[in-house]
Amino acid sequence: MSDSAAHAGPHRLTPWLATLAAYIVPLGFVLAPMALFLVYSFFSVDHGSIVFSPTISNYVRFFTDPVFLPIFWRTCLLCLAVALLCVLFAFPVAYFLTTLRGRSRYMLLVLLLVPLLMSYVIKIYAVRSILGGNGMLNRALLATGLIDKPSMLFVFNLNAVLLTLTVLLIPFAVLPIFLSLERIPKALRHASADLGATNAQTFWRVTVPLSLPGTLSAMSFVFVLAIGDFLTPQMVGGQSGFTFGRIIYSQFGTAFNWPFGAALSVILAAVVILAIRLGGRLESKHGGAK
Amino acid sequence: MAEAGILLKLRSVSKSYGATAILHSIDLDVRDGEFITILGPSGSGKTTILRLIGGFTQPSGGQILLDGSDIAAMPINRRPFNTVFQDYALFPHLTVEANVGYGLAVRGTPRAEITKRVADALELVQLGPLGKRFPGQLSGGQRQRVALARAIICRPRLILLDEPLAALDVELRRHMQTFLKSIQTEIRTTFLFVTHDQEEAIAMADRICVMSAGRIEQIGSPHEVYYRPGTEFVAKFFGENNLVPGTLGPVEGTTRAIDTAVGRLVCSIDGQPKIAALPAGSPALAVFRPEAVGIGDAAEGENRIAARIDQVAFGGASTMVNTAAVHQSQQILKARLQSRPDGTSLSQGETIPLVVPASACRLVAA
Repeated sequence: MSDSAAHAGPHRLTPWLATLAAYIVPLGFVLAPMALFLVYSFFSVDHGSIVFSPTISNYVRFFTDPVFLPIFWRTCLLCLAVALLCVLFAFPVAYFLTTLRGRSRYMLLVLLLVPLLMSYVIKIYAVRSILGGNGMLNRALLATGLIDKPSMLFVFNLNAVLLTLTVLLIPFAVLPIFLSLERIPKALRHASADLGATNAQTFWRVTVPLSLPGTLSAMSFVFVLAIGDFLTPQMVGGQSGFTFGRIIYSQFGTAFNWPFGAALSVILAAVVILAIRLGGRLESKHGGAK
Repeated sequence: MAEAGILLKLRSVSKSYGATAILHSIDLDVRDGEFITILGPSGSGKTTILRLIGGFTQPSGGQILLDGSDIAAMPINRRPFNTVFQDYALFPHLTVEANVGYGLAVRGTPRAEITKRVADALELVQLGPLGKRFPGQLSGGQRQRVALARAIICRPRLILLDEPLAALDVELRRHMQTFLKSIQTEIRTTFLFVTHDQEEAIAMADRICVMSAGRIEQIGSPHEVYYRPGTEFVAKFFGENNLVPGTLGPVEGTTRAIDTAVGRLVCSIDGQPKIAALPAGSPALAVFRPEAVGIGDAAEGENRIAARIDQVAFGGASTMVNTAAVHQSQQILKARLQSRPDGTSLSQGETIPLVVPASACRLVAA
């Protein structure tokens, strides 16, 4: 009896250790730093050193200073536009993917996933070389004679940020949409046709509504990734393409005001959580009627 | 040329996937207003027939004629048929009302008319108050009715039903059988019903088309396929049956003798010209139902077989008696006798005279 208990000892310890490790990773490396940020956001800075006494001055500054709120809203709008564009481009790709079978489907999926394996910076540089004043896009337009001097429409401004983010984040939108399209039973499309619907009617009345859960999660996914990005606006945004992420970055870097940066990060985190919740809520609302 | 009373004609329709043939040269007429059941075990090609008519797959050969013209090139959404799918295929994102009204909505029917006809259809299938629910909130039987209402609302020429009762439990299935039949009588639309359940087929159909391995074995009324099987497969497919092998003797009017291990049996060949035409000495099977077997003295036109009782199983209204023929063979014969309140006097090992009327005995080619 006691013998078997002694044998069981180490075996019983293993799941405990595994559970502990499973909690340590998110608690220690995600939640603790975030809690630290929350605490920091209530401190202030005086002559370059942090004053550890609680204050809400950082939040007051964000809501009263005429600089921050407009950039905040503009960034939210920009990321919403990125999310919309991504979904708009990703949907036909995902739909096309569902019509493929076997090898060709696999090949296209791999092609879509390859960019995810590449360095983010390299991808931004690649898009930059296309968009720049002397970039491929402008040179191509000049060569075809459509314009006679390089267009500045997409050169180091918010439009460039919009385009670059869209291009970089499309793969993230394709997968959830593809999966939700795959889950629609073929019998439903048959039933629609059987009841007299044309292919276009079946698409709009059956396929699109039933793919909404995936489309919405794709949108919130892209939105979250875009709003947290400071590298892309930094590299293709120039002077006018200022976003919220860049402001946070500058608070930690050039301005060296960690408490204010922390307060802005907390606000950003709130928006991200809201976006995820909203996406999830709409998703369950549309997917719930099964 | 359109034939009066015939809605749909299948002429040497075949279907194969690569080298695998699913259907071999099917000829089938669907009559206007009838309830026709296609019955067969799984893999017999019955669902393929339904899918071919619905337009979900294309035949490899032959013609499907609607009012005399081939509908091979007619797309699914143009065919005047509606389908009740096996797992109902209701749209999960639409309410019951929107599901039922779908066929009208895609045709651009005015909203007021849709509302009215949806209400009527839901009334017909006894789902009136559930119109605002979603399919996920309904029971299996209710979903079944929604699927039916959705199929009948466009007033199709033909309703295709693909094993719609397979997913329901026994009691509900019985109830839905009667219900489907009463709806069909009420709206007078042709129903083509696919099933693998013999009882279901017998309970509902005007005509049954029995299929096996991609071929039609027999087409006839439930009574015909039950009591006058055309082939050995059909004889074995419907419930318990006695099949006694033997060689054919001479034809005498509407009867023909067969020499079997239990003696010479006289069988009716009324309406079976094929059996009448077989040469004497051909192998065949005598077929008779256990309930056609009696005990006692044989009268004129009856077959008498001496048999020893093997097993007696009381089954409520009837008692099943398994016997072994006394002759040289050990041919098992089953008799279903009416139970008596004072119990049966039959005991195991006893030899009794079995009586089978020639009119209840049929022949099929072996």
